[in-house]
Amino acid sequence: MKSLIRLFFAATLFLASATIQANPHVNYLLHCSGCHLPDGRGSPPEVPTLINDPGMLAGTPAGRDYLARVPGASQAPISDLELSEVLNYILLNFSGDVLAKDFVPMTEKEVARSRKNILADPLKYRDKLWEQYQ
Amino acid sequence: MKLIEKGLNWLDQTTNKNTRVLAQRSSRRGFLGKVGTALLGASVLPLLPVARAFGAEGLKEIGDPQSCDYWRYCALGGMLCSCCGGSMTSCPPGAEPSPITWVGTCRNPVDDLDYLISYNDCCGKPVCDRCFCHRTERDKPVYFPAKANDILWCFGTESQAYHCTVALVIGKA
Repeated sequence: MKSLIRLFFAATLFLASATIQANPHVNYLLHCSGCHLPDGRGSPPEVPTLINDPGMLAGTPAGRDYLARVPGASQAPISDLELSEVLNYILLNFSGDVLAKDFVPMTEKEVARSRKNILADPLKYRDKLWEQYQ
Repeated sequence: MKLIEKGLNWLDQTTNKNTRVLAQRSSRRGFLGKVGTALLGASVLPLLPVARAFGAEGLKEIGDPQSCDYWRYCALGGMLCSCCGGSMTSCPPGAEPSPITWVGTCRNPVDDLDYLISYNDCCGKPVCDRCFCHRTERDKPVYFPAKANDILWCFGTESQAYHCTVALVIGKA
Protein backbone atom coordinates (compact mmCIF):
# COMPACT_ATOMS: atom_id res chain seq x y z
CA MET A 1 0.00 0.00 0.00
CA LYS A 2 2.76 2.39 1.02
CA SER A 3 4.63 1.88 -2.22
CA LEU A 4 1.40 2.46 -4.11
CA ILE A 5 0.91 5.79 -2.37
CA ARG A 6 4.51 6.67 -3.07
CA LEU A 7 4.06 5.77 -6.71
CA PHE A 8 0.95 7.93 -6.84
CA PHE A 9 2.83 10.93 -5.43
CA ALA A 10 5.76 10.37 -7.74
CA ALA A 11 3.43 10.23 -10.74
CA THR A 12 1.60 13.38 -9.61
CA LEU A 13 4.86 15.25 -9.08
CA PHE A 14 6.11 14.18 -12.47
CA LEU A 15 2.92 15.33 -14.16
CA ALA A 16 2.97 18.61 -12.24
CA SER A 17 6.57 19.34 -13.22
CA ALA A 18 5.77 18.46 -16.82
CA THR A 19 2.97 21.01 -16.92
CA ILE A 20 4.95 23.71 -15.15
CA GLN A 21 8.00 23.53 -17.36
CA ALA A 22 7.04 24.81 -20.78
CA ASN A 23 8.72 23.37 -23.86
CA PRO A 24 11.29 25.47 -25.80
CA HIS A 25 8.81 26.32 -28.54
CA VAL A 26 6.34 27.78 -26.02
CA ASN A 27 9.11 29.63 -24.20
CA TYR A 28 10.31 31.02 -27.51
CA LEU A 29 6.82 32.30 -28.35
CA LEU A 30 6.32 33.65 -24.84
CA HIS A 31 9.64 35.40 -24.26
CA CYS A 32 11.19 36.07 -27.68
CA SER A 33 8.55 36.15 -30.41
CA GLY A 34 7.01 39.43 -29.24
CA CYS A 35 9.94 41.24 -30.87
CA HIS A 36 11.75 38.62 -32.96
CA LEU A 37 8.39 37.36 -34.36
CA PRO A 38 7.26 33.72 -34.37
CA ASP A 39 9.42 32.89 -37.42
CA GLY A 40 12.52 34.64 -36.05
CA ARG A 41 12.76 37.25 -38.77
CA GLY A 42 12.74 40.25 -36.38
CA SER A 43 12.53 43.85 -37.62
CA PRO A 44 16.08 44.91 -38.51
CA PRO A 45 17.80 47.15 -37.64
CA GLU A 46 15.83 47.74 -34.42
CA VAL A 47 15.18 44.05 -33.73
CA PRO A 48 17.99 41.81 -35.01
CA THR A 49 16.94 38.81 -37.06
CA LEU A 50 17.43 35.35 -35.55
CA ILE A 51 17.68 33.76 -38.97
CA ASN A 52 21.25 32.56 -39.68
CA ASP A 53 23.06 35.23 -37.56
CA PRO A 54 22.98 33.32 -34.25
CA GLY A 55 23.88 30.15 -36.15
CA MET A 56 27.07 31.84 -37.36
CA LEU A 57 27.89 33.13 -33.87
CA ALA A 58 27.48 29.66 -32.39
CA GLY A 59 30.67 28.58 -34.17
CA THR A 60 33.02 30.21 -31.66
CA PRO A 61 33.22 30.18 -27.84
CA ALA A 62 32.94 34.01 -27.79
CA GLY A 63 29.82 33.84 -29.96
CA ARG A 64 28.17 31.21 -27.79
CA ASP A 65 28.98 33.26 -24.72
CA TYR A 66 27.43 36.35 -26.33
CA LEU A 67 24.21 34.50 -27.23
CA ALA A 68 23.51 33.80 -23.55
CA ARG A 69 24.58 37.30 -22.46
CA VAL A 70 22.55 39.41 -24.86
CA PRO A 71 19.96 41.19 -22.65
CA GLY A 72 16.88 39.58 -24.23
CA ALA A 73 18.35 36.16 -23.43
CA SER A 74 20.05 36.74 -20.09
CA GLN A 75 17.11 38.69 -18.64
CA ALA A 76 14.31 36.39 -19.82
CA PRO A 77 12.40 35.14 -16.76
CA ILE A 78 13.29 31.48 -17.34
CA SER A 79 15.80 29.10 -15.74
CA ASP A 80 19.29 28.41 -17.08
CA LEU A 81 18.13 25.05 -18.39
CA GLU A 82 15.13 26.58 -20.14
CA LEU A 83 17.29 29.34 -21.64
CA SER A 84 19.76 26.80 -22.98
CA GLU A 85 16.85 24.92 -24.58
CA VAL A 86 15.40 28.08 -26.14
CA LEU A 87 18.82 29.04 -27.54
CA ASN A 88 19.20 25.56 -29.03
CA TYR A 89 15.67 25.84 -30.44
CA ILE A 90 16.62 29.11 -32.16
CA LEU A 91 19.94 27.75 -33.43
CA LEU A 92 18.49 24.50 -34.75
CA ASN A 93 15.34 25.97 -36.31
CA PHE A 94 16.46 29.29 -37.77
CA SER A 95 19.99 28.62 -39.00
CA GLY A 96 19.42 26.78 -42.27
CA ASP A 97 22.79 25.30 -43.25
CA VAL A 98 24.82 28.03 -41.56
CA LEU A 99 25.09 26.01 -38.36
CA ALA A 100 28.27 23.92 -38.18
CA LYS A 101 27.79 20.20 -38.80
CA ASP A 102 29.55 19.42 -35.52
CA PHE A 103 27.48 21.94 -33.56
CA VAL A 104 27.35 21.05 -29.87
CA PRO A 105 24.09 22.16 -28.21
CA MET A 106 24.37 24.86 -25.54
CA THR A 107 24.39 23.37 -22.05
CA GLU A 108 22.71 24.55 -18.87
CA LYS A 109 26.10 25.02 -17.19
CA GLU A 110 27.53 27.04 -20.05
CA VAL A 111 24.48 29.30 -20.17
CA ALA A 112 24.47 29.76 -16.38
CA ARG A 113 28.10 30.90 -16.47
CA SER A 114 27.72 33.35 -19.38
CA ARG A 115 24.40 34.75 -18.29
CA LYS A 116 25.76 36.05 -14.98
CA ASN A 117 28.32 38.17 -16.78
CA ILE A 118 26.33 41.31 -17.58
CA LEU A 119 26.89 43.03 -20.94
CA ALA A 120 27.25 46.73 -20.17
CA ASP A 121 27.15 47.87 -23.79
CA PRO A 122 25.55 45.12 -25.91
CA LEU A 123 25.59 47.04 -29.22
CA LYS A 124 29.25 47.98 -28.98
CA TYR A 125 30.16 44.44 -28.00
CA ARG A 126 28.09 43.02 -30.85
CA ASP A 127 29.78 45.25 -33.45
CA LYS A 128 33.19 44.16 -32.22
CA LEU A 129 32.22 40.51 -32.20
CA TRP A 130 30.81 40.68 -35.73
CA GLU A 131 34.15 41.93 -37.11
CA GLN A 132 35.44 38.38 -36.76
CA TYR A 133 32.69 37.05 -38.99
CA GLN A 134 32.79 39.61 -41.81
CA MET B 1 -2.35 25.44 -101.54
CA LYS B 2 -5.20 22.98 -101.39
CA LEU B 3 -3.58 21.24 -98.46
CA ILE B 4 -3.36 24.47 -96.42
CA GLU B 5 -6.98 25.27 -97.20
CA LYS B 6 -7.99 21.80 -96.12
CA GLY B 7 -6.05 22.14 -92.89
CA LEU B 8 -7.58 25.51 -92.04
CA ASN B 9 -11.01 24.17 -92.81
CA TRP B 10 -10.46 21.27 -90.45
CA LEU B 11 -9.22 23.61 -87.73
CA ASP B 12 -12.29 25.80 -88.19
CA GLN B 13 -14.69 22.91 -87.92
CA THR B 14 -13.02 21.31 -84.94
CA THR B 15 -12.86 24.56 -83.01
CA ASN B 16 -16.45 25.30 -83.87
CA LYS B 17 -17.59 21.85 -82.74
CA ASN B 18 -15.60 21.86 -79.50
CA THR B 19 -16.75 25.33 -78.55
CA ARG B 20 -20.38 24.37 -79.07
CA VAL B 21 -19.97 21.21 -77.01
CA LEU B 22 -18.29 23.20 -74.21
CA ALA B 23 -21.01 25.86 -74.32
CA GLN B 24 -23.76 23.25 -74.15
CA ARG B 25 -22.24 21.28 -71.31
CA SER B 26 -21.01 24.03 -68.98
CA SER B 27 -22.65 27.10 -67.55
CA ARG B 28 -20.76 30.34 -67.84
CA ARG B 29 -22.09 31.54 -64.52
CA GLY B 30 -20.86 28.44 -62.75
CA PHE B 31 -17.37 28.91 -64.11
CA LEU B 32 -17.21 32.65 -63.43
CA GLY B 33 -18.63 32.05 -59.97
CA LYS B 34 -15.91 29.55 -59.17
CA VAL B 35 -13.15 31.83 -60.46
CA GLY B 36 -14.63 34.70 -58.45
CA THR B 37 -14.76 32.67 -55.26
CA ALA B 38 -11.18 31.50 -55.71
CA LEU B 39 -9.95 35.06 -56.36
CA LEU B 40 -11.83 36.52 -53.41
CA GLY B 41 -10.78 33.68 -51.12
CA ALA B 42 -7.15 34.02 -52.11
CA SER B 43 -7.19 37.75 -51.47
CA VAL B 44 -9.11 37.70 -48.18
CA LEU B 45 -7.50 34.72 -46.44
CA PRO B 46 -4.07 36.29 -45.89
CA LEU B 47 -5.76 39.32 -44.33
CA LEU B 48 -7.02 37.32 -41.40
CA PRO B 49 -4.29 37.74 -38.80
CA VAL B 50 -5.49 34.84 -36.71
CA ALA B 51 -5.30 32.46 -39.62
CA ARG B 52 -1.80 33.72 -40.27
CA ALA B 53 -0.63 33.53 -36.69
CA PHE B 54 -2.26 30.32 -35.57
CA GLY B 55 -3.42 27.55 -37.84
CA ALA B 56 -5.87 25.98 -35.41
CA GLU B 57 -8.78 28.22 -36.22
CA GLY B 58 -11.13 25.65 -34.73
CA LEU B 59 -10.78 27.46 -31.41
CA LYS B 60 -14.06 27.45 -29.49
CA GLU B 61 -14.71 30.62 -27.51
CA ILE B 62 -17.54 32.06 -25.47
CA GLY B 63 -18.26 35.57 -24.27
CA ASP B 64 -18.42 39.09 -25.61
CA PRO B 65 -15.28 40.28 -27.45
CA GLN B 66 -16.34 43.85 -26.70
CA SER B 67 -16.14 43.27 -22.96
CA CYS B 68 -12.99 43.54 -20.81
CA ASP B 69 -13.93 40.22 -19.18
CA TYR B 70 -13.41 38.30 -22.42
CA TRP B 71 -10.88 35.53 -21.82
CA ARG B 72 -8.28 36.72 -24.36
CA TYR B 73 -7.93 40.07 -22.65
CA CYS B 74 -6.60 38.64 -19.36
CA ALA B 75 -3.48 40.82 -19.58
CA LEU B 76 -4.61 43.61 -21.88
CA GLY B 77 -4.08 47.22 -20.83
CA GLY B 78 -5.62 49.66 -23.32
CA MET B 79 -8.57 50.10 -25.65
CA LEU B 80 -10.30 47.16 -27.34
CA CYS B 81 -10.10 47.35 -31.13
CA SER B 82 -13.37 45.40 -31.24
CA CYS B 83 -15.07 48.56 -29.90
CA CYS B 84 -13.21 50.88 -32.29
CA GLY B 85 -14.24 49.64 -35.72
CA GLY B 86 -11.84 46.70 -35.80
CA SER B 87 -12.17 43.27 -34.22
CA MET B 88 -10.39 41.35 -31.47
CA THR B 89 -7.90 40.18 -34.11
CA SER B 90 -7.73 43.05 -36.61
CA CYS B 91 -7.00 46.77 -36.49
CA PRO B 92 -9.66 49.31 -37.45
CA PRO B 93 -9.30 50.69 -40.99
CA GLY B 94 -6.46 53.20 -41.22
CA ALA B 95 -4.61 51.91 -38.16
CA GLU B 96 -1.36 49.99 -38.56
CA PRO B 97 -0.67 46.89 -36.45
CA SER B 98 2.64 47.02 -34.60
CA PRO B 99 4.86 44.06 -35.48
CA ILE B 100 6.36 44.14 -32.00
CA THR B 101 4.20 42.92 -29.17
CA TRP B 102 4.26 41.33 -25.82
CA VAL B 103 3.04 37.80 -25.39
CA GLY B 104 1.23 36.36 -22.40
CA THR B 105 -0.99 33.40 -21.60
CA CYS B 106 -4.73 33.28 -20.90
CA ARG B 107 -6.99 30.36 -20.05
CA ASN B 108 -9.84 29.63 -22.44
CA PRO B 109 -12.90 28.78 -20.31
CA VAL B 110 -14.35 26.55 -23.03
CA ASP B 111 -11.59 23.90 -22.98
CA ASP B 112 -9.81 25.06 -19.80
CA LEU B 113 -6.49 25.21 -21.68
CA ASP B 114 -3.88 27.98 -21.64
CA TYR B 115 -3.17 29.77 -24.90
CA LEU B 116 -0.38 32.14 -25.89
CA ILE B 117 -1.83 35.55 -26.63
CA SER B 118 -0.01 38.25 -28.56
CA TYR B 119 -1.15 41.78 -27.72
CA ASN B 120 -0.52 43.90 -30.80
CA ASP B 121 -1.18 47.61 -30.62
CA CYS B 122 -2.83 49.34 -33.56
CA CYS B 123 -1.10 52.62 -34.27
CA GLY B 124 -1.13 55.76 -36.38
CA LYS B 125 -4.53 57.16 -35.35
CA PRO B 126 -5.56 59.20 -32.30
CA VAL B 127 -6.45 57.10 -29.29
CA CYS B 128 -9.87 55.41 -29.53
CA ASP B 129 -11.80 56.43 -26.46
CA ARG B 130 -13.94 53.29 -26.09
CA CYS B 131 -13.70 50.12 -24.00
CA PHE B 132 -10.72 50.92 -21.84
CA CYS B 133 -9.55 47.74 -20.12
CA HIS B 134 -6.87 47.14 -17.56
CA ARG B 135 -6.27 43.50 -16.72
CA THR B 136 -2.93 42.37 -15.38
CA GLU B 137 -2.56 38.57 -15.30
CA ARG B 138 1.18 37.86 -15.22
CA ASP B 139 1.85 41.45 -16.19
CA LYS B 140 5.12 42.83 -14.80
CA PRO B 141 6.09 46.40 -13.78
CA VAL B 142 7.57 48.63 -16.48
CA TYR B 143 11.11 48.01 -15.26
CA PHE B 144 10.54 44.61 -16.85
CA PRO B 145 9.56 46.09 -20.20
CA ALA B 146 9.23 42.86 -22.17
CA LYS B 147 6.34 41.78 -19.95
CA ALA B 148 4.70 45.12 -19.14
CA ASN B 149 1.34 46.05 -20.61
CA ASP B 150 1.57 49.72 -19.59
CA ILE B 151 4.08 50.26 -22.38
CA LEU B 152 2.76 51.47 -25.71
CA TRP B 153 3.90 48.87 -28.20
CA CYS B 154 3.84 51.10 -31.27
CA PHE B 155 7.41 50.24 -32.30
CA GLY B 156 8.32 49.50 -35.88
CA THR B 157 5.27 51.37 -37.17
CA GLU B 158 5.13 54.61 -39.17
CA SER B 159 3.60 56.52 -36.29
CA GLN B 160 3.91 55.96 -32.56
CA ALA B 161 0.36 57.20 -31.91
CA TYR B 162 -1.55 54.53 -29.99
CA HIS B 163 -5.09 53.71 -31.15
CA CYS B 164 -6.21 50.37 -29.66
CA THR B 165 -5.08 46.78 -28.97
CA VAL B 166 -5.90 43.37 -30.48
CA ALA B 167 -5.39 39.94 -28.90
CA LEU B 168 -4.18 37.18 -31.23
CA VAL B 169 -3.90 33.54 -30.28
CA ILE B 170 -0.45 32.43 -31.48
CA GLY B 171 -0.35 28.94 -30.00
CA LYS B 172 -1.08 26.61 -27.13
CA ALA B 173 0.83 27.12 -23.91
